[in-house]
Amino acid sequence: MKPLIRARWAAAAVLALAALCPPQVLAQVPARFYWKTLSGASAVPVIFNSLSGNTNPFDPSNLVTPDANFDATMAMAGWAQTYTLGDRSAMAAIILPMGRVSGGVAGFTETSRGFGDPMLEFNYNLIGPKAQKTIPDVLRYEPGFSLDLLVDLMLPIGEYDNKQSVNLGQNRWYGRIGTPVVWQLGSWVPGRRTTLELLPAVWLFGDNNDFVGQKLKTDPMFQLDAHLTRDFAERIWGALDLTYYKGGGSTINGVAAGKLNNVGVGLTLGYTVNENLNLTFGYKSTVNDSAPTDMRMDGFMVTLVFGWHPIIEGMRRLKSE
Amino acid sequence: MQQKGMVMTTLLPRSMRTVVTKMGRWLGTACLVGMEVTLAMPATSLAADAPRRPNIVVILADDLGFADMGSFGGEIKTPNLDSLAKDGVRFTNFYTHATCSPTRSMLLTGVDTHLNGLGNMDEWTAPNQVGVPGYEGYINKRVATLPQLLQGAGYHTYMVGKWHLGKQPDQIPRARGFSRDFTLLDGAGSYWDMTNLTAATPKSVFTEDGRYLTKLPDDYYATKTYTDKLIGFIDDNKADGKPFFAYVAHQAPHDPYHLPKDWRNRHVGEYDKGWDALRQERLKRQIEMGITPAGTQLSERMWFLPDPIVLAPAARAVTGKKMELYAGLVENMDHHIGRLIDHLKKIGEYENTIFVVFGDNGPEGTDLFKMLTGTPGTRDYLFAATAWSQTHPNAWGDPGSYAAYGPMWAQVSATPFSQYKAWLGEGGIRNALIVSGPAVKRPAGSINRGLMHVADLMPTFLELAGTTYPKTLAGQELPPLIGKSWTQVLAGQAESPRTDQDYLAWEIFGNRALRQGDWKIRWQYKSLGKSDWELFNVATDPAERKDLAAQRPDKVKELLALWDGYVKANNVILPSRSMFETLEDQLPPRVPDEAGYPPVSYKRQFVPPKDMMADPKP
Repeated sequence: MKPLIRARWAAAAVLALAALCPPQVLAQVPARFYWKTLSGASAVPVIFNSLSGNTNPFDPSNLVTPDANFDATMAMAGWAQTYTLGDRSAMAAIILPMGRVSGGVAGFTETSRGFGDPMLEFNYNLIGPKAQKTIPDVLRYEPGFSLDLLVDLMLPIGEYDNKQSVNLGQNRWYGRIGTPVVWQLGSWVPGRRTTLELLPAVWLFGDNNDFVGQKLKTDPMFQLDAHLTRDFAERIWGALDLTYYKGGGSTINGVAAGKLNNVGVGLTLGYTVNENLNLTFGYKSTVNDSAPTDMRMDGFMVTLVFGWHPIIEGMRRLKSE
Repeated sequence: MQQKGMVMTTLLPRSMRTVVTKMGRWLGTACLVGMEVTLAMPATSLAADAPRRPNIVVILADDLGFADMGSFGGEIKTPNLDSLAKDGVRFTNFYTHATCSPTRSMLLTGVDTHLNGLGNMDEWTAPNQVGVPGYEGYINKRVATLPQLLQGAGYHTYMVGKWHLGKQPDQIPRARGFSRDFTLLDGAGSYWDMTNLTAATPKSVFTEDGRYLTKLPDDYYATKTYTDKLIGFIDDNKADGKPFFAYVAHQAPHDPYHLPKDWRNRHVGEYDKGWDALRQERLKRQIEMGITPAGTQLSERMWFLPDPIVLAPAARAVTGKKMELYAGLVENMDHHIGRLIDHLKKIGEYENTIFVVFGDNGPEGTDLFKMLTGTPGTRDYLFAATAWSQTHPNAWGDPGSYAAYGPMWAQVSATPFSQYKAWLGEGGIRNALIVSGPAVKRPAGSINRGLMHVADLMPTFLELAGTTYPKTLAGQELPPLIGKSWTQVLAGQAESPRTDQDYLAWEIFGNRALRQGDWKIRWQYKSLGKSDWELFNVATDPAERKDLAAQRPDKVKELLALWDGYVKANNVILPSRSMFETLEDQLPPRVPDEAGYPPVSYKRQFVPPKDMMADPKP
């Protein structure tokens, strides 16, 4: 019947729009990442990055090497699952970065290729709508003011060569704790949705005791990601992105290697191809980055997220009969 | 003629004289009609106003169902309307017509639709009715209107809301007797702006005090603005001490369900239980309240509607949300009615005001939007794509959205009756009626089962205003009133304005019905009808479940004789075309609604006895 079809469409669209895409190596996720969807949904995210700057994109501490140039071509693939925990929305994900990165100062370039440090992510909603356990819950979902607890942990098993400073793996434990916020501004109608999204987070780093034979220590780093997003039409949206880094001072064998106080800005365009597939295209660049010790990086990012849920898939099969 | 006009201008209140002066040529003619009616009034009615003649407020809700108000068994929160019921009296055998403009025409003229111009709705005039007096599609000039007569009797006459009785300058409220108005002339449209429903009429037309509006006021929302305007009219003239007649013809709760955001989420999930459960709950309350006699059965669920039990949660949620919006729309209307009541209390007029509250016909069960927008490739469809395509449930209520609750919830609104708007089942024509105010001497909060009709309002109000219905209009004899005054019923001196011999009759779109006493005959197009006469005892079977025509041919014959007399007396011309002429081909074949059938849909999982369960042997 017609209402059923509408419900099915709406649920599936939300599934894809919920953007179960993973965090990326820049420790920035696209806008609309923390929208919630139906519990029991799965997603496979694939993220492509082309990055350039004076810091290794695979290193979330963004250790700056003055006068250096790094170029990276990366992909990240993973798997994410939504579920209900104590009546609240939760998500667990595992992401594996891969690709190649090369860089260094003039005349001295290093290259690394292979797999980076896998990341485990757990996100749990603290404030906001209850978990979406049924399709009616999906239909009635509006984030209002939503606040989550986010915990990321990177496993130090990625490609690492202690003879060079440019690596995919970081040879240390590290992770972050954050509180993603989604703040709905106005109606929650596809084509008219507006959100302000914030992710304040603190990164914590273990020591790398074999950083080209030296000891790399990194202080905690504060990072704020902010996005102002707006639907342009039912299936297409855009975002103004801002990232702020502060702290994360590093020492190598006790010698200070600088700390961060940088801002990056960017734009993102999102497009819902169909009820399962969501695409984003974005560009971001640091600003006020002319000093040698400032972090300088820019990059393009394309994300592709394929999400599904057994109920939605079953209804699709029936529909196609 | 000129002399009469001069005399009348002197007799008119100053405000009216000013207005007459300002009105254009096109209005002049119309006003003269009103003047001549006044000239025909008995001299006593032109005497100085009796200081305590009652104010009269008619609150007409558009497509409100019999069972929607709390005081009639609804779970919808209508405290202000219920307060009127608590102070006044409720009527459970009150009839309107089955659609909008015919009801309104009888309310305002007291004359049968086939004589007053609404023998058919303007939108559906059949080829054989075109040009026939009585089928003009607007209130014709051969009848007098209630506001004209009350104005002549010294009342201020105010109208706010929906008119639907003609758009031409000589057909609008100002031309038909309202001294002040703020009016939507169309039958439906946006509550937020001037967007109308089809490519042919993309823009709603409004008037204010007889002038066509170029735009709507800032912060316009139909129900709110209508209330604001009426309060303004009342305040503007309260100093002169004259009583007023206010016709508050709310657009709510007609679809599209447009309502402010604050009112949309007051029943989230409440209607996921479905229409059958809600009908049962409402019936239970109606019986407890005495609205419906004990033992009353619900009408059959329409055979083309599913039992909500078999629906998936998502389907229940989406369909339930439409009812949530409807409930919010009714509650919002009640809120603004409360503002009016509070204002009248504040200015000391409440105690001297008669309130009459009812819906103009049964709840809307037809998919009006689908009917209007047509199919892909048509201009109306293209118009809808640009103006009415906010289809996401979260957009329902916003400008550009068109939500309507459909036949399933219309049956809930009509509990316990069968059918809905545009049909002559009790659900299409029997409406909840509340009357309160100084004329009511019955016990506060009481219920009456007298046989009432919307056309009764004309003689009732004229009597309350101390005047009478004139015999002529502009030298032309006026048709007789079909209504009966309620004053004795309201005073507790009679139980019904009608005897057992009086009858009521209806015809619209070719569907026809007649009720005399407890008996009713009905002819309706298939499949909601049988395209043949059916007979019901609506006292013992108000849900019209059992057609007794085969058992009581004598009664059918007796009532058909009355029907023939009605046709002759009122020049009833059955339409050669009808909006229902192909309905039978569009609906699935009609089958009875029998609880629990088919069993395959209702069987439960078999659970074996635990002591007989075992794992498979290796």
